[in-house]
Amino acid sequence: MDLNNKYQNMSSDSDSKSSSLNSKVEHEESESNSPTKSRRSTSSTSNEIPTVGDIKLRNKPSENVASGRSDDPPLLPGEKVQGVARDVTYLCPFSGPARGWLSVTNYKLYFKSLERDTQLVIEVPLGVVSRVEKVGGQSSRGENSYGIELFCKDMRNLRFGHKQENHSRRNVFEKLQQYAFPLSHSIPMFAFEYTETFPENGWNVYEPMAELKRMGVPNDTWHITKLNDGHDLCETYPAILAVPAGATDEIIRNAAAFRSRGRIPVLSWLHSESQATITRASQPLVGVGGKRCRDDERYTQLIIDANAQSHKLYIMDARPSANAIANKAKGGGYEPEDAYQNAELIFLDIHNIHVMRESLRKLKEICFPNIDETKWLSGIESTYWLKHIKCILAGACRIVDKVENHKTSVLVHCSDGWDRTAQLTALAMVLLDPYYRTIKGFEVLIEKEWLSFGHKFQHRIGHGDDHHSDADRSPVFLQFVDCVWQVTCMFPNAFEFNELFLITIIDHLYSCRFGTFLFNSEKERLQKEVKQKTVSLWSYINSDQDLYKNPLYWPQQHALEPVASLRYIKMWKGLYCRWNPSMRPQEPIHQRTRELLHMKMQLMKISDDYRRELRHKASRNTSSNRLTSPIHI
Amino acid sequence: MHRYEVAIMMNENRLTNSFKSYVGWDDDEQISSCETSFIEHELSPKLHPGEMIIAEAQSVLLFTPVNEQKTGISGVLFVTNFRLSFITSNEKHLKETSYQENLLLGQYDVCLSNIDIIYLLTGDKKKRLMTGHRFNDKVKGLHIICKNMRTLSYSFKFSPLGHGKTLANALLHHAFPKRHQLLFAYDYREPNVQSRYSTPTFRCRDDWEKELQRTKCFGWTLNSSNNKFRLSPSLPQFIVIGSAVIENHLRIAMQHFRDGRLPTWCWSTVNGATLSRKADVVDPSNLTQENAMLEIVRKSHPGLLRPFIMDLTKNLPSPKDVNQSFIKLREICAPESARQFWVQDNHFYSLLEASKWLQYVSSCLNSALIAANKLNRNESVVLQERDGRDLCCVISSLAQLMIDSHFRSIVGLQTLIQKEWVVMGHQFCTRLGHVNSTDSVKSPLLLLFLDCVWQLLQQFPAKFEFTETYLTTLWDASHVSIFDTFLFDCERDRYCATKDVSPLMLRSIWDWEEQFMDQDLIQFHNPLFNASKVQDDLLKVSTEISCLSIWTQCYYRFLPTLEISNGGKPLEDFAVRTLINMNDNDSKDTREVCTPSNIGSFFPFTHWRSSNSVPPSTLTISSLSLNTSDLQMETSLVEIPEHL
Repeated sequence: MDLNNKYQNMSSDSDSKSSSLNSKVEHEESESNSPTKSRRSTSSTSNEIPTVGDIKLRNKPSENVASGRSDDPPLLPGEKVQGVARDVTYLCPFSGPARGWLSVTNYKLYFKSLERDTQLVIEVPLGVVSRVEKVGGQSSRGENSYGIELFCKDMRNLRFGHKQENHSRRNVFEKLQQYAFPLSHSIPMFAFEYTETFPENGWNVYEPMAELKRMGVPNDTWHITKLNDGHDLCETYPAILAVPAGATDEIIRNAAAFRSRGRIPVLSWLHSESQATITRASQPLVGVGGKRCRDDERYTQLIIDANAQSHKLYIMDARPSANAIANKAKGGGYEPEDAYQNAELIFLDIHNIHVMRESLRKLKEICFPNIDETKWLSGIESTYWLKHIKCILAGACRIVDKVENHKTSVLVHCSDGWDRTAQLTALAMVLLDPYYRTIKGFEVLIEKEWLSFGHKFQHRIGHGDDHHSDADRSPVFLQFVDCVWQVTCMFPNAFEFNELFLITIIDHLYSCRFGTFLFNSEKERLQKEVKQKTVSLWSYINSDQDLYKNPLYWPQQHALEPVASLRYIKMWKGLYCRWNPSMRPQEPIHQRTRELLHMKMQLMKISDDYRRELRHKASRNTSSNRLTSPIHI
Repeated sequence: MHRYEVAIMMNENRLTNSFKSYVGWDDDEQISSCETSFIEHELSPKLHPGEMIIAEAQSVLLFTPVNEQKTGISGVLFVTNFRLSFITSNEKHLKETSYQENLLLGQYDVCLSNIDIIYLLTGDKKKRLMTGHRFNDKVKGLHIICKNMRTLSYSFKFSPLGHGKTLANALLHHAFPKRHQLLFAYDYREPNVQSRYSTPTFRCRDDWEKELQRTKCFGWTLNSSNNKFRLSPSLPQFIVIGSAVIENHLRIAMQHFRDGRLPTWCWSTVNGATLSRKADVVDPSNLTQENAMLEIVRKSHPGLLRPFIMDLTKNLPSPKDVNQSFIKLREICAPESARQFWVQDNHFYSLLEASKWLQYVSSCLNSALIAANKLNRNESVVLQERDGRDLCCVISSLAQLMIDSHFRSIVGLQTLIQKEWVVMGHQFCTRLGHVNSTDSVKSPLLLLFLDCVWQLLQQFPAKFEFTETYLTTLWDASHVSIFDTFLFDCERDRYCATKDVSPLMLRSIWDWEEQFMDQDLIQFHNPLFNASKVQDDLLKVSTEISCLSIWTQCYYRFLPTLEISNGGKPLEDFAVRTLINMNDNDSKDTREVCTPSNIGSFFPFTHWRSSNSVPPSTLTISSLSLNTSDLQMETSLVEIPEHL
């Protein structure tokens, strides 16, 4: 095979895009016709092409090297090599050990195999690493019994074997510890070092006022309050909040005092026709004594009154009822129906973050590294992962049904209103509003329902933190994306984005390359000047949108009603099992996607021309010549 | 308890008494609501020539399957010598569904041959009806489970006294015929429709010779010694055997194989390796003839390589295993009640695993892939099974699909089924249970094969000319007792039937025009397939269970709860069809692009609409898809880029 091609393949990101964005376990393949430009960085576009002999000859350690040399990892702007170890063996669970060199930068771990027949590149952003451990000691005998093991947040573990005699492990281990857990070592996160620029600025994607305006707010019944301008009313809420127009500042303040962490019911989504709303909150502080708050009740009634179509409100408590009751002992609880006269309370039976974390741990067990084929299906069931996904999806479907089919408003809360509540409101919004099924709309949705409303990404993911068993960590956001993926499978035409878009978001949820998912709240991000000092993930994605487009996208205006049954909900193999080469799809799907997309562009053009022609004709003879079937593209 | 809301409406001089009733299925049960109308005396099925009504029950309610609300439609239920037919006056309901229109069977009809289990509902009890049973109980309703997983629940609550019992008796009597001659095919008097396609039958010399030439086979010869089925009752009149077998030897050798099924040719690679199939020897202690035959297979190989012998009774399920697995699969795909549906849903994955269905699919694909790999390396393969009439059919046809693109077109697959199943004597009559018999083993091996093909289609979506709708329709069609293709156990039985005193008129299932019109036939064509880009490549299918999925269209389509409205694969196909069509066809008439709305994931098998669904839009299939007249996709203008 042409060495030229070989090298380009290894350094171009185009292939890894198809399986994963920021890492690749890629065996030499003869695909050399990928038209996508390299998206990693300028460094990989070097024209210096080494030969295999070249690679073998270069044996000197290089700490601070210029880009493009064969034994340097391709670097992002702002990325620096921190340490290199030679003669390291990567113990691939699928294709066996491969010898090569390993380097650690302030962003990633990069392993490249030297052996010709197993050309292999492993690239893992250090943000993905949750735990680094030494394996074996000086006295360890046996091949590859001495080395390092990395446990990752993205469903894989990596094992490297070092040779005791070259003492390479210590340096690598230290650098890995430092740069995988910068927070624990008082080192800045890579997102603050990363300097790449993109044609589009993703920080401008979400404008809270514009988004509210898109929904028709402010209007007669909903207005925007300035009460939280300095995040004083509620520090985990955004500055801009939409509340019922009739709610006075005093009512709002009193209601906030009665809601856990001041998270009062605020507007998430407004049905443009029926005026039915989705509002979100935290639990009321009812406690064992059954406390009441007149203003919270009044405030709730205002939400009901804002929707002329219905005199009722459904309060969807995401928790199992037992958990909601148990929360009373801690001062929380749920709305008693006698106090909230026109409200009906429904428990959605979604479990807490600890149950979900345990479920994901089990899921990893059955997916990685090896799959037990004989118990695959019952194994999936035993993790309960899909059952949890079903619960969330079913909850969102109930919300959609009330809002769409019954024109009734829904108030969603759990305990604090930043985990299960975000899952439910965001998912219901995806189902209800076609805008959130576009690339831009989905980005807005994440910015709004997750980031601005204070889903604690820092705590849930544990960015740069070495407390791998922290009880605050939980795959809440991952579950939401999984639910969205399930819906995209059921409605293959309804989404502008494809699977790669969702996988890319998940990859960068952990990677710490972008500022998007850092910190816990809008307030914290403001204080840390995230917008000024880091790059947004949306800058990266929106600068090459074609990659993330679904060619079969046919915008549909109606609400989606997925079927929340385990007969449909399936394991997202493209995400959870992607490290296993035997689980890859058979046909080059991404190639087909690209070609279909191209066809679609042509089609759109033809149809635009045709439409213009028709309009032209219609305007000329304005008589009864109406177009019988409408054209929606 | 009972509350009637009756509204009488005058409508175009017709008295339509339509009401929404809130009457329980059983007195103690919850509300039901049925839209009923009593203009039934005018209703009757449009009978086919030779068809006659045997019994009828008026004012019958047909319930929506698996529905807590017990909603449904009302109409008249008929038993004829061909089908169980339900005729409703509720035309609105008919129009709302975009259902594959079968010219032989109405939307709520099932062929008697499709009926597997009949439950009698008396009060709160359910009793399975077996032939020969006498029953005197009051018949409140019937619950029917079909071989294709459809379930039908009728109530006779509003029927005149005795109607239910008469109907149930007639159904029980006719649904499980004891003799082959009682099947409707013998009574059907409609002239044949000539198909636009012609599928070789392999009943004549010519079809075999063409196939031998196509594969450039050498070392094997077409032999007509089984003329009039003198040597083997289960083999066809023409067989292809090793050229080195001399006529006298053939007769002796055949006596040593079960049913005379010595190694017969299935397929050849261009380099001369062959796939052949055989039965076990009658006397396992005497292997002389078997060895002699295998030696002839070895000699037929250009490199004189010893053939690879695959014993299909090892590592593969027996027909009995397959049937047990199917019954378990059907239990989870055709639950009786909404409650059972959701109970199963919680354990769906382990129930699916316990059914072993995917495990069997996996092992069939795996065996076929092993065979295909051997052939690809130019090694000959001999498939061996006790009688050589069950798994031999599955594995030989799957292996050929994997290795020879010729069989991946619609006619190609039909050729393959004709060659490896029909003429080679797969016992369709026994396995599909067309004739009621206690000592024979029913087993849906054809479905197992179709499921394997479906898995191939999932993994290689652009490699096949047909769609999953075609495969599902094929499975349905195997239960229609009009076509002879899947009606007999072997060629000899078919031959005899045509020579009978009242001869059977042969009617091939491949003449799809007998059943469907163009708008439905177009759904058989995979928009991603491009005949001009066909390559001969081995389809290296992933056979692990983790890479397989459940065939939702075929198995879920009778459960309205599982239909995704405005979603699923049909819309995907529409989009692809439109894109490809737009891209290639310059004629302006087809340029209008619409979003197909109100098409559910089970299209074209949508039986029931959920009550809150949006009214049907103006869009029809023809306004969107390819020129419907342009059925011959292989000759159409479609030009699909590579890899599509």
